[in-house]
Amino acid sequence: MDSAQLTAFTQTLAQGLLTGGLYALIGTGLSLIFGVMKVINFAHGDFLAIGMFITLALFRAFHLDPYLSLLVAAPVGFALGYAIQRFVLARLGDRLSEASMLATLGLGLIISNTLLLTFGAQPQNINVPYAIQTVQLGGVQLSIPLIVAGLGTLASIGGLNYLLYRTELGRAIRATAQNPLGAELQGVKTTNIQAIVFGLGVAFAAIAGVLLMPLLYAFPTVGENYTTKAFIVTVLGGLGNLPGAVVGGLVLGGIESLGAFYISNNYRDAYGLVAFLLVLLLKPEGLFGKTVKRV
Amino acid sequence: MTRTVSRSLLSLAAALSLASSASAQGTLKIGAVTSLSGRFATFGQMQQAGFRVAIEELNAKGGVNGQKLELLLEDDASDTNKALTAAEKLVNQKVPVVIGAYASGITKPLSQYMSRAKVPLIVATAVDETITKPGNAYTFRVNNQSSVYTRSLIDQLRKLAGLKTAVVLTSNDAFGKSVMTDVTKLLPAAGYTLLGKDTYDQGLTDFRPILNRYKAQNPDVVIFASYEQDAVALTKQVKEVGLNPRVMAGIATGFALPDFLKGSADAGENFLVTMVWNQDVRYPGAQNLYTRLKKALGGEEPSQHAAQSYAAMLAAADAVRRAGSADPEKVRAALTTTNLSTAFGPVTFRTYGGYQNQNSVVGLITQVQKGKFVTVFPASASRGKIILRR
Repeated sequence: MDSAQLTAFTQTLAQGLLTGGLYALIGTGLSLIFGVMKVINFAHGDFLAIGMFITLALFRAFHLDPYLSLLVAAPVGFALGYAIQRFVLARLGDRLSEASMLATLGLGLIISNTLLLTFGAQPQNINVPYAIQTVQLGGVQLSIPLIVAGLGTLASIGGLNYLLYRTELGRAIRATAQNPLGAELQGVKTTNIQAIVFGLGVAFAAIAGVLLMPLLYAFPTVGENYTTKAFIVTVLGGLGNLPGAVVGGLVLGGIESLGAFYISNNYRDAYGLVAFLLVLLLKPEGLFGKTVKRV
Repeated sequence: MTRTVSRSLLSLAAALSLASSASAQGTLKIGAVTSLSGRFATFGQMQQAGFRVAIEELNAKGGVNGQKLELLLEDDASDTNKALTAAEKLVNQKVPVVIGAYASGITKPLSQYMSRAKVPLIVATAVDETITKPGNAYTFRVNNQSSVYTRSLIDQLRKLAGLKTAVVLTSNDAFGKSVMTDVTKLLPAAGYTLLGKDTYDQGLTDFRPILNRYKAQNPDVVIFASYEQDAVALTKQVKEVGLNPRVMAGIATGFALPDFLKGSADAGENFLVTMVWNQDVRYPGAQNLYTRLKKALGGEEPSQHAAQSYAAMLAAADAVRRAGSADPEKVRAALTTTNLSTAFGPVTFRTYGGYQNQNSVVGLITQVQKGKFVTVFPASASRGKIILRR
C-alpha cells in the first residue's frame, strides 16, 4: 500500500466512523425507548426529519446558525416525544405491542406528510460558510460539519450516560426498565418516567437531524433510510443495550465506507444488511450479548 | 408552498386572460402539453415562460397570416396518461401543431399518439435518443438528443493538451447509463485512459468512500452525471475529501440548473457543465431573450428549457405561416423545410445518422466562473476562456 492509498484508506475509515457516530446517536434513542418500554419506534427517522426541518426553517427565517437551532430542536423533540408517549402510546395499554408498533408507524406517516405539505417535496439545503471547510490531520482531510457531528454525538451520549448512572432520574429510569411494577411500588411515577424516556429518544433523533443538516439536504421522507439504519445499529449491538448501540453504529459506518471503497459503491446499503443478517444468524442477542434488557 | 400556489394561480389567471382576450376574432391556436404540476413542475414553468415570451413576440409583430396566435396549454400533471388525454383534447380542437411534453418518458408515447392522429408534434426538452431515432414523420425535435452532451464534452477534452487519465461516476438510471456508454466508448478514442467507472443508486448521500478512491488514483479529469440533489452533494464532498483533478465536469441535468450554483456555492467553482443554451451564448438576441424569460418567470433565473420552448413556438408559427394554412398535413410538410435562426440557435429539422426530423444542436460547454455559468466552448459561441483547476 503506497502512501496515497494509505491516506485514502485512513480518510475513508475516519469518515466512516464519524458517520457511524451519527448512526450511533440515532440508534441510542431507539434502543433507549425499546429498553424501557419494549416499543419499537418506527417513526424514529421521521423525528430526525423534524430536527432537519426545524434547522432549515430557522435558518430561512432568522438566518440562525444551524448548530444554534439545537437549542430549539432538542426541547421541541423532547416535548413532542413526551406528549406522544403520554397521550397516544400510554393509552394503548400494556399488552398490545402490535398496537404501539402500528401507532408509531402511523405517526411517522403523519409527520412525513405534514412536512411534505409544509415544505414541499424538493430536496432543500442550507449554505453556511463552514459547510465545505476542512481540517488536515496528517494528510487526512475531514470536513468541519462531520467533526462537529462526531463531537455532538460524543457529548450527547456522554450526557445520557451521566443522566442514567449519576442522577436520581436515571435511577428511576433504570428501575422502570428492569421492573415497572416494582418501580411503581417503590414510589416511581412510571407513566411520567416512560414519557420522559420517549422524549429523550425523540430529542436524540432531532439532535442527529440538526447535526446532519449542514452535511446533507432535507426532504420529507429523509427519515425512512435512518429508521432502517437505527434498527440495524440496535440489533447489531443488542436491542436495549446502549453501549452496544454505540459500537453498532461505529461498526455499521465503518463497514459501509470500507465496503464502498474497496468493493463497489453500488452495494453500499447491502454491506450493513449483510452484517445485520450475520449477527441475527450467529448471535441473535446482538454483538454484546447476554444482558439484552440492560439500559 | 404558498409561493408556488400563488405563482400557479397567477399563471392560470394569465393563461385565462390570454385565452379570453384572443378567442374573439378567429385566432390561430397552437397546442402545448407540459407538466405544470407534479414532480416536473419546475421544468413545466420554464416551458410555459418560453411559450408565452414567443407568443408575445409574434403577436407584437402582427401574428401569423393576419391572425393573432393563441396558446392552448394543457397540464399533464407529470403523468403519461393525462398527457395523452390532453393531446386528444387538443387534436379535437383542430390545432395545426402541438408542442410538448417535458420528460422523455411522457414525450415518447405522446409522439406515437400524435403520429396516429396525424398532427405534427414539436419536442422542445425531452432528450431520449429514441424519440427521433428512428422517430416518425410527425415528430420534430428542436432540442438535442442526449448524446450531444457527452460528445461535446469529449470533443473539448480531446483538445486540452497534457490530460491523460479520467474517472466517471453516473447515476444508475437510463440517463446515467447512456452517458456511461458514450463516455466509455469515446474517451479512449480521445486518447484517455479510464481509471475508474462507477454508478450509484438514487438516494445515496455519502459519496466520500468512492471520492477517496479517486483521490488516491489522482486522475486528470472527473466526469459526473447526476440529478439535482446528488449534484450538489457530490460537489460539496469533492471539496471535502480534497479531490482536485485538473478538470471537473458535470453532464447537464442536475448541474445545469440555477439551483446548482446556489446549492453548491464555492464548491462548484470551475466545474465544466454541458448544456445547449446559456444567457451569454453568442446567438443574436440571446441576452434579450434571457431578460424577457426572467421577467416572464417573475424574476427567477431561466434555464435552457425555457429557451428551447421559445424556439419550438417560433418554429411552430413559422411552419404555419409558410404552409399558409392550419391544416396539420400542410404544416407537417412545411416543418421539414424549416430553416430558422433564433436566439436559442439555428433550427432545422433534418434526417441524418439514423435520426429523423432532428435539429442539429451545438453542445455548449460552460464553466462555473465566479458563481456564474460562462460559455467556454465552442469558440464560435463562447465569450470566456476555460480555466484549468491546476
